[in-house]
Amino acid sequence: MGSVRDYFASIGNGLGSAVKGMGVTLRHLTQEDTITLLYPHERREMPPTYRGLHILEQDKCIDCGLCAKACPVDCIEIEAEHHGRVLEWAKFTIDYKKCIFCELCIPPCPVKCIHMTSEYELATDSPDTMAEDLLTWTGLRREDQEKLEGKAKPKPAAPAASGGGGDLQSRVAAMLAKKKAEKGED
Amino acid sequence: MQGLIDVFANLLGTGPTLSMVLAYFVCIHSLIGFITIYAMFAIWMERKVAAHIQVRLGPMETGGWHGWAQSPADALKLLFKEDLIPAGANKFLFWIAPALVFCGVFTGFIVVPFAEGIQIVDLELGVFFIVAIASVEVIGVIMAGWSSNSKYSLFGAVREAAQVVSYELPSATALLPPVLIVGSLTLGDFNTFQAEHGWLILHNPFMPIAALIFFISSLAGCKRAPFDLPEAESELVSGFHTEYSGMRFSFFGLEEFVSMFLVSAVTATLFFGGYTLPFDLLSIGAAPDVSLFDWLSGHAELGQVDILGSLTHLAGPAVFIVKVFVFIFIQMWLRWTLPRLRVDQVMVLGYKFLLPWALFTVVGTALFEGLGWGWCSHS
Repeated sequence: MGSVRDYFASIGNGLGSAVKGMGVTLRHLTQEDTITLLYPHERREMPPTYRGLHILEQDKCIDCGLCAKACPVDCIEIEAEHHGRVLEWAKFTIDYKKCIFCELCIPPCPVKCIHMTSEYELATDSPDTMAEDLLTWTGLRREDQEKLEGKAKPKPAAPAASGGGGDLQSRVAAMLAKKKAEKGED
Repeated sequence: MQGLIDVFANLLGTGPTLSMVLAYFVCIHSLIGFITIYAMFAIWMERKVAAHIQVRLGPMETGGWHGWAQSPADALKLLFKEDLIPAGANKFLFWIAPALVFCGVFTGFIVVPFAEGIQIVDLELGVFFIVAIASVEVIGVIMAGWSSNSKYSLFGAVREAAQVVSYELPSATALLPPVLIVGSLTLGDFNTFQAEHGWLILHNPFMPIAALIFFISSLAGCKRAPFDLPEAESELVSGFHTEYSGMRFSFFGLEEFVSMFLVSAVTATLFFGGYTLPFDLLSIGAAPDVSLFDWLSGHAELGQVDILGSLTHLAGPAVFIVKVFVFIFIQMWLRWTLPRLRVDQVMVLGYKFLLPWALFTVVGTALFEGLGWGWCSHS
């Protein structure tokens, strides 16, 4: 500092670096693609191994309870009445307040009926609805009811009381179909 | 102005005093309307420029097309917010500071020449008036910081007080070369001179330096980055307006964008030809011999009105506003390019670089003018 040469050099440096910086910002300003994802309108493609909300293929499930036993945080609750091989469903819930998305519930399943989807929207209106009901029906299905005929007092089939709202259910159903299609290709 | 007074006198049959009151009322309120709409647009533009420089998109949802209604929505929200006054604050100063800040820059607008005659008053001391009235804002800023009873606000105010000396000197000095050339402080004279002799920035080799110095110090005058020390959101929360909320807060925001327009208008008028184009196209912005006002005020028949002249006259404000927006865009561009200077760096820049060079341009211009040399388009 101090010399006349430094003084003029610093003017050149200052102006030069400002102009250079403005060149950089102008390039970004005019660049077409941005990094912003307009989230509710656009969604990021999740990787196939992403661990999101669960789905259950209820017609395959045998109510063995291995997934619930494997769960390190005890967030899965299963309840069904066995009529021989026919199941009368009462409950299959996953409490997402507890769930740590570790995927340990998936491998023990002997019939491969529980899966994790890439669905990541977990928000609900209240903590009471955080326990997601995975059942697509409760009680007995009509064909099961006909099979049993008089053996037990059959309860009428009712649609599942869904925990998260129809929108999520339909999305999960679509995802299940997609996953099945992928498996078919394999 | 006189034209508008005559129009009221003729159409409503009011006396001279009432006509004048009416004319000023209309002028001031159309100016307030213009400023409000401009500020909303400028805030939206700032957010868009900032976003795209950072490879983002900025507001996209409100109002549909690229979030155009974001600023009106924000203004509405600010209107409904609670007006908080911190405990221990000096209530009167706290209350009056935003008004003082806004009035400072708003008053400067009454001399801005949008086109020949489209100007509320063409003061003989126009340039001096703008420089002086824009400094009133500083008092408001210091008042706001002092009365808030908060250490961050006070830091912001003290920084503004320290900064003001270092930028006001070069900014006022850099306005001297154009004044020397034109030989007048009236803003209207700058436009007529440049319509005749070409833009002042090309008048002699010192003018681009003077324009650059004025531009840099006017950035500091608007408290914009890289000179946003009084605000310094990363250091002082929000500087002098930390404690403000609701409408009072929005006045500070409004003031920033309005003073950006004001200094850009001064740059455009004094260096870049005001409402005139660089080439002579239908003499845009020049007042017609017989205008619509002359007909409305009963000085001329409708058949005598110079229609083409009136239209080119009204194109003047458009040209002027486009020029102003070019400078506003450069201010935004710079803000999102350069980091904030330190307090001592602002002082060094002001005293060691801007002020000597501004004096150099004054002396150089005086020599050029005294010896009768011209650089280009000088007759």
